[in-house]
Amino acid sequence: MSDIFPKWTNRLPVYVIVGALLAGTAVTAGIWYYFTPKYTRVGFMPKQPVAFSHAIHAGQLGLDCRYCHSQVEKSWYSNVPATATCINCHGPNNGGILKDDPRLALVRKSAETGESIPWKQVHKVPDYVFFNHSVHVNRGVSCKECHGDVQTMDEVWHAKPLSMAFCLDCHRNPESRVRPLEEITNLGWKWSDDPKIAADKQKAFGKEFVANAKIHASQNCSACHR
Amino acid sequence: MKTARPACPYPETGAKYWRGPEELADSPEFRSWVEQEFPAGAEEMKDGPSRREFVKLMSASFMLAGLGMFGVGCRRPEEEILPFAKQPEGYVHGVPQYFATALPTRTGAIPLVARSNDGRPTKVEGNAQIPGSNGGTDVYSQATVLGLYDPDRARRFARKGSAGSLNKAERAEALDALAAIGKQFAGNGGQGLSFLTERTQSPSELRVRGELQKKFPRATWFAHEPVDFDIRRRSASTAFGKPVQARYHLDKASVILSLDCDFLSTEAGMEIFSRDFAKTRKASKDHPEMSRLFAVEALMTLTGGAADHRLRVPASQVIRVAAQIADFVLAGSGIPVSQAGELRNALTNLGRGLSSELAGNDWVKGCATDLLAHKGTAVVLAGYQQPLEVHLIAHALNVALGGLGKTFDLVPAPDGGEGSLAELGTSLNGGSVDTLVIIGGNPVYNAPADLNWAAAQAKAKNVVRIGYYEDETAEHCNWHFALAHYLESWGDARTADGVYLPVQPLIQPLFGGITVLEFLARIGGFASANAYDLVRDSFSSVAGSPLVENAWKKFLHDGFLAGSGHKSVEASLNWAGVATVVAAAKAAAAPTGSEMEVVFARDARVDDGRYSNNGWLQELPDPVTKVAWENVIAMSKASAKALGVFPKYWDEGGWLAKFDNLEAKGLTYASLVKLTVAGKQIEGALWIQPGLAENTIVLQLGYGRTKAGRIGDLAGYNAYTLRTSGSPWMASGATVEVVQDRYEIACTQTHWSMEGRPIVREANLDQFKKFPSFATAMNGHEMPGGNHSLYPNPLDELRKNPNVLHQWGMAIDLGACTGCSACVIACQSENNIPIVGKMQVSRSREMHWIRIDRYFAGSFESPQMTNQPMMCQHCEAAPCESVCPVNATVHDEEGLNVMAYNRCVGTRYCSNNCPYKVRRYNFFDYNKRSLKDIAGEKVPLLGTVYSTPLLSSTDGEWDLLRWWKDPDNNTKRSTDEWEILKLVKNPQVSVRMRGVMEKCTFCTQRIEASKISQKVKARESGDVAVPDGALKTACQQACPAEAIVFGNLNDEHSQVSHWKADTRNYSVLDYLHTKPRLTYLARVRNPNSAMPGYTEHPLSTTDYAEVNNVHGNPNEAHHGGHDESHGHAEHGVPAPAEKGSH
Repeated sequence: MSDIFPKWTNRLPVYVIVGALLAGTAVTAGIWYYFTPKYTRVGFMPKQPVAFSHAIHAGQLGLDCRYCHSQVEKSWYSNVPATATCINCHGPNNGGILKDDPRLALVRKSAETGESIPWKQVHKVPDYVFFNHSVHVNRGVSCKECHGDVQTMDEVWHAKPLSMAFCLDCHRNPESRVRPLEEITNLGWKWSDDPKIAADKQKAFGKEFVANAKIHASQNCSACHR
Repeated sequence: MKTARPACPYPETGAKYWRGPEELADSPEFRSWVEQEFPAGAEEMKDGPSRREFVKLMSASFMLAGLGMFGVGCRRPEEEILPFAKQPEGYVHGVPQYFATALPTRTGAIPLVARSNDGRPTKVEGNAQIPGSNGGTDVYSQATVLGLYDPDRARRFARKGSAGSLNKAERAEALDALAAIGKQFAGNGGQGLSFLTERTQSPSELRVRGELQKKFPRATWFAHEPVDFDIRRRSASTAFGKPVQARYHLDKASVILSLDCDFLSTEAGMEIFSRDFAKTRKASKDHPEMSRLFAVEALMTLTGGAADHRLRVPASQVIRVAAQIADFVLAGSGIPVSQAGELRNALTNLGRGLSSELAGNDWVKGCATDLLAHKGTAVVLAGYQQPLEVHLIAHALNVALGGLGKTFDLVPAPDGGEGSLAELGTSLNGGSVDTLVIIGGNPVYNAPADLNWAAAQAKAKNVVRIGYYEDETAEHCNWHFALAHYLESWGDARTADGVYLPVQPLIQPLFGGITVLEFLARIGGFASANAYDLVRDSFSSVAGSPLVENAWKKFLHDGFLAGSGHKSVEASLNWAGVATVVAAAKAAAAPTGSEMEVVFARDARVDDGRYSNNGWLQELPDPVTKVAWENVIAMSKASAKALGVFPKYWDEGGWLAKFDNLEAKGLTYASLVKLTVAGKQIEGALWIQPGLAENTIVLQLGYGRTKAGRIGDLAGYNAYTLRTSGSPWMASGATVEVVQDRYEIACTQTHWSMEGRPIVREANLDQFKKFPSFATAMNGHEMPGGNHSLYPNPLDELRKNPNVLHQWGMAIDLGACTGCSACVIACQSENNIPIVGKMQVSRSREMHWIRIDRYFAGSFESPQMTNQPMMCQHCEAAPCESVCPVNATVHDEEGLNVMAYNRCVGTRYCSNNCPYKVRRYNFFDYNKRSLKDIAGEKVPLLGTVYSTPLLSSTDGEWDLLRWWKDPDNNTKRSTDEWEILKLVKNPQVSVRMRGVMEKCTFCTQRIEASKISQKVKARESGDVAVPDGALKTACQQACPAEAIVFGNLNDEHSQVSHWKADTRNYSVLDYLHTKPRLTYLARVRNPNSAMPGYTEHPLSTTDYAEVNNVHGNPNEAHHGGHDESHGHAEHGVPAPAEKGSH
């Protein structure tokens, strides 16, 4: 029989098993890494219809987030502003900033016709997740925690995974993330430039804030899924 | 600092991240872009370790490209956010808005608050701001929001074409046609113009009608309601000699007698009756007082179930019982003979014909004595289906019992002066009607058969109609106008109490419908046909002219005008007038086995047929029979035997099919029978009903529609075809024959008895006074070593945790619950519960999160009925949780048993392990099935169970192709159903898909919303506990009887804590130690020991004592026969074995 099956074929099953295990591990690891939100979502940066730069408005000019996202403290959603908000500064009569700039053509058109500007959605949680903005920004969680340093982004991109593990990280340990309410929308704010001092201050503040405000970030299913 | 926005290297369209390998390769553009702006930190790209990241990134990209199936990357599709160009003032995206409005009814209106989610009305609730209101509603108003999104509603203005069918007409042309009517009759004062209307209490509509009457003085007006409550006005006006009607105050009554009056379910104003009645039925240890209800009725109704003493007599004999009772009462009331003598003679004559077999003298006497003993707090109510004489007797009784000004008063009720439908029929047949204007109603379907309405209507040259559906009547019209839904309309209304309410729109008419106000105004050629202007004019005439803008705004905001309620009218009973009418009464002879009596009843689900096409109401089981999706021909066991149609497979416990055929197991069958009255026939399911009067056949109105729509067509039989205009509520001489032995029927509760288990616990008031803790006395076995679990209850620990502020719990007062089912529909509306269709219901796959269990105890002929709302009990030791293999159902720390739908894989172990059977499983994608599949073909029952997308098609397109083109829209619902029906969904609740388990969540979305709103208010303060009363579950909110209370058990001052501390509080199946968070307050009945049929214990308690070998008093706190440490109880009175009264 050895004429037909050379000796090395005796080891074939072992090769197959080991090969399958390796391949299986590789596939599992690959999916684990590449198919999770940490990988698939972070970095998503759709091109917006209007070249709006958060870096200019929120960073350079220092506009408060709530000037445009005015309902974030009241609603489940943080609203994308109506065109009328842009026109407050960029309108031909009031403000008049860049009033003839071609990059703002769509904004002017929208203001005239009443049609919406088709902004591309960057951050989105699945339909079965009921995330509420108001309860976070009113209770010490900065925009930055989920959206990153938007004040430095020209085109907004998805900075955090917004996966369930990401949410739970903070819900399990809110002390390390809460900050004074007056600094919620001050995205560049730090306790100190020295990381050591900042960490100490955060620790002390977080503990006190969580105790005083009775922050008990729920880790139950019912907190987000209903 | 980088300030200039770098040019994005990617093209303008398509996904921007994973575009392809070459994009991510080291092209110069890419590199430069990365260096400038790469999100993950450009500087890192240059370091050693980050190189690895980059390679990973690339390899992943290549891998994906290699797979060839992620052409756009594995991101979700790109979506757009479309903000307003100009934000409406006060609008906050995502925060629901609430508007006060009202649902106009025949007798008044139900004040409502409607919720609007981003412009879509999604839920209506009662307006609790109205003085005296508790925010409860009836079952119909909860369901009206689905009617708004009915794909079958009239969507167009239409005119009859040459082929005889309706064709779409241009709006302008149609509105011109209305104006043309006005012009046509302007010259002759309306000669030949007739209006057929429904009953309304809208001041604006009445005012507009008045204007039209002025303009067309010779036009004739008629009103038609197949279920008409106008008898209330007619009877009171006759009795008191003034245009008045009675307004009852059941909360002030201690003895109530119902003369065939189902005031807890099918009478108009049931939400007010239920509210006031329930107030008198909540006995507690410290206040063991409650009212007593006597019911005389032919049908088994919820009122009969709530009664302490129930006398079943055929409907035609109610007048004789009433006469006998009145005779006794008048004799003992001290009303001088000079006043009441004549009436008493008439009553004696009338009462004489009453067979003592039907109602013993002692029952009548006992009831009358009890009424007399409570002079000033006794009240008598007569049902809408009873003749004028019974109502007059009731008025006389109420006056004799000194109730005027106490248990009832009189409020103005002017006569609209409309003629009857029969009169209109005569005019039509006489040829004197040129143009007939029909406002609402559906006479072709529901006119009495003897009027031969379709033919009569055809005699008019021009028939113009405004209606919500293009239904049976629409077919016979020349013009048809789409009516706007009340949630799309400006209007106004008055409650039965006279409180002035606005009807304000939440949305533009979806299909361009117009309101009745506009319709009439256009006929009248008013200067403004705008309903808004007309209502404002009416407001200023009610509230005082000129209109004060702030008062108008307050009116719209509050939803009512303060102080506008009717003032009571002084009047005295016209004894002689009443006597004359009563003396002329001709009571029919009692029905016999050969001369059966047929009675018609308003349906507790679809009303008179106006809600036939409402899926929620069609799927709601009848509160008494528990049959869904059709009406039944109900009769007693003896009647069925007398008619020779008693089913062979009858089981004493209920309808249990006993067939060898495997397929038939678990299904419910009735016989299909043909009923003939005066040569006219109907075919329907035979239903053997406990508690029905003998020789009586009950037919429910509102079914058997032919042009209702996809949901309502062909469900049940049409009882109107047997009705006559002379005797709309009764017919006699019915014969019945079996057509089909086995007819599948959708019944949600086939078993009727509790089999002696203490599921619903009851005691009589006398016993309750002695043993306030009777409910827990009926608890099951104690475990050896006491009721302690081996394991600590984690929720006990959580209760001590200061960080967990809430522990949610609910209590339901079975003393107050009448079984009306408003909670079921409220829950369906709030929680996006789908309808599943008759076929699925018959296989016990209904999705209702609450069901109302209805039990009978005692004899079949004269049982006692109880109701128990049953939903997820949120057990602390939940059996469902321990068997879930994927942790999809778990506890949260606030005591809720939560369902994570996305984890659920549909093993259904949880449902199997649930002792309360409250879990519901999505066997199919019910939210995506077409209405046709859901409704199925009802006769015979052949609903489509499931058709594979490989073989089926929707809208004429292969389903697989539809899915391929648009994977998000892989629905079997045709586009017109899908696009409109999805609007009714509550956005705060997930819509569940196939293969997922679901159940009551205690409205977790409302809990979270209230917690969040409290936290937002609190900001950095620690004031985050939700105050009691800030949160109501949907069922609690809808309950007119306030039988449900929900709240925080950690707060000892909360209402729910008080209820749970009540001595009546108990858990169902306590012996399983599931520790439910939902407990019940046992029911207390209040029978009179002097009455015949009195038993010391409610019959279910007697059953319990028998089955469980309780030797002592079952109400006493011991377990006779069980508990060995105490031995058998020596004291207490043995339960009497007497069963049944009459």
